[in-house]
Amino acid sequence: MSTAVADSSTVRDRMSALWRRYRGENNETTLLLLILALVGVMAIVEPSAITLGFFGDIIRSGIVTLALALGLLMIIISGGMDVSFPAIAIFAGYATITLMQSLGVDGAVWPFVVAVAMGLLLGSLNAVLVARYKMETLIATLGTQVIIRGVLIAFIGSVYISVLPAQLDAVGATSIMQLGGTQVNVLVIPVLVLAGALAWVLRRTMFGRSIYAIGGDKESAKRVGISVKKVQVAIYLVAGALAGFGGMVHVVLSRHASPFEIVGTELNVIAAVVIGGALDSGGRGSVRGTILGVVLISLVQNSLIRLGVSSYWHVFVVGLVVLAGVAIQARSAAATHRRTRILERLETAA
Amino acid sequence: MTDMKTSSTAGLRARATSLWQGATRHHAYDLGLLALALVVAVVFTLINPSVYASQLNVESIAFSVPEVGLMALAISIAMTVAGIDLSTVAVANLSALFIAWYSAVGEAAGQGPIVSTLIAVAGALVIGAVAGAVNGFVISRLKVAPILATLATMQIYTGLAIALTRGEAAYGVTAPLSEFGMGDLLGVPYVFWFFVLVVVVVWAIMTKTTFGLKATLTGASKVVSEFTGYSYSGVIVRAYVLTGVISALAGLVMVSRTASASAGYGSSYLMLAITIAVLGGANPFGGRVAITGAALAAVVLQLISSGLNMVDVSAYIYQIVQGAILAGVFVVTFERQRLLQRLARRRTAPPEPGAPQPAPSVVREKEPA
Repeated sequence: MSTAVADSSTVRDRMSALWRRYRGENNETTLLLLILALVGVMAIVEPSAITLGFFGDIIRSGIVTLALALGLLMIIISGGMDVSFPAIAIFAGYATITLMQSLGVDGAVWPFVVAVAMGLLLGSLNAVLVARYKMETLIATLGTQVIIRGVLIAFIGSVYISVLPAQLDAVGATSIMQLGGTQVNVLVIPVLVLAGALAWVLRRTMFGRSIYAIGGDKESAKRVGISVKKVQVAIYLVAGALAGFGGMVHVVLSRHASPFEIVGTELNVIAAVVIGGALDSGGRGSVRGTILGVVLISLVQNSLIRLGVSSYWHVFVVGLVVLAGVAIQARSAAATHRRTRILERLETAA
Repeated sequence: MTDMKTSSTAGLRARATSLWQGATRHHAYDLGLLALALVVAVVFTLINPSVYASQLNVESIAFSVPEVGLMALAISIAMTVAGIDLSTVAVANLSALFIAWYSAVGEAAGQGPIVSTLIAVAGALVIGAVAGAVNGFVISRLKVAPILATLATMQIYTGLAIALTRGEAAYGVTAPLSEFGMGDLLGVPYVFWFFVLVVVVVWAIMTKTTFGLKATLTGASKVVSEFTGYSYSGVIVRAYVLTGVISALAGLVMVSRTASASAGYGSSYLMLAITIAVLGGANPFGGRVAITGAALAAVVLQLISSGLNMVDVSAYIYQIVQGAILAGVFVVTFERQRLLQRLARRRTAPPEPGAPQPAPSVVREKEPA
């Protein structure tokens, strides 16, 4: 009997060691399993829905979310919050199109550059408020959100632009492959490249590690010689630029420009990042997790459509998923806080 | 590391000054807000006296202050416990929808207007309390950051309202509520009297009761509060229940005033309410009670809104102004403090440059054995 107990306990030990090794720093494996389980449930409940087109839809609806999520991820890792990115995104996208129309010029690549520059400029607003005036990041970005959106609609334009300049529109019609009935747009490539680049910056560069350090503990970061202000300024500038790019992706993919879009979708993006393991108290989060978070949110939304759930319930269900995801991540973060991280690493490595 | 050799009289005077400043700071801030309200009112009156100072306009301002003022009050309390409540508008809408729905149901069931009004209002308050308790539970027990927790519950409450109403608006309230929303007493709308009453009660709760003190302490320092022995999550849950109930009261005013309710009503109020709470003197990092300030700030913002409306600028300009005020409060406070510090340093002839920095906020005195 005692051996049986010992056996089961060693098995459990081994299992938990195995789990700890493969769980991923931000519960990425949990997320992956959750995604697979959801797909599995879909396959049982509504087998006809699991088509290539279904996955194509997920990619298509996830691509803008991911583009917007990247900048937010940096900010959340640094211990901040940003709700201004949708305003920055739609400002950059819409203003660029308006600029192209009024100048009568056309192009395929440079509009993206212009949008990124606008995003950078608007991001500097946040940078000043957060780095110099030490404003609570949520409050600061809430303020810039309404300012930016107000300026856009009051001064730049409030009309729906249904036809984009021809060359730019052609980008929106270019697909690299077809999944089922869904076209996968060429813009997937730059977004994934940016995601890869951000992952590299976060893991391998001084700047990236400084973001984690600031998010972990500002005081400690300062003491090891990191200029918190400089890093914060850089974060908000880059996040603004990424939001600008995301806005342009949105406009090109939807093939029209309306100043009333994107703002209001911030919860989905924030949810994707947070479910992906980034914690708003800072110091945690990864590009991998964020991608999985984006896929999960996009999967839930598309599944609800395919399952024929009344659209009136979508907001509610997505809210529940967000709450559950956030709560799970918060619990697991609280649990890891209590354990000594280094010992765990050594143990896993041994 | 503090210099203990300052002359005793100077030290005493400094201590007395700081004590005096501490005691009057809030009142000084409130007085400042009152002055700001006067300035705004005078400026817009000068622009167009016959319109802005007309009885009609003053009355419309008095009618519009309470609903957003109550939401700001709710957010201000959440900020006192170092949180925020983004679900305020959603809870208000949910409560308002219940009242509108029950007004029709109660009438259909043959209940008298008084009875159905009481049930409708009680139901709305229960909704507010439950919604707030859920927020408090998620924040204190599940340890989700207030921003994320209430962002998610905002979505859930709004989603519930959309799902239950299929996105349609509900119309009509009972006769007493309609009278409450439109009528006035001594020339002042009932809803404004009600707002003043709620402000006084909440102010008393937050400044005169043990709960208020605990909430303030918890907001000032969670760690310190944990050493005092009272239940952290108990305080947080109660604070958010209070927040939820006030949000429900905002819903009550909303539905009484407009005789309609919908899931998407007042979505721009959230930003406005946060602006008012911050302008009113609440500190998003917690530990400061600013109830009267929030009430005064609500009046200031409505004075501005009405004035901008009068000079006929776009609603988006008003939003820009809101954002600018929100950022401006912080910028002005920051620059003012810097200026004061510089003046103070010059006056007290500082321990010359190169002197050690003030001790860091976190001091580890002993290494664990």
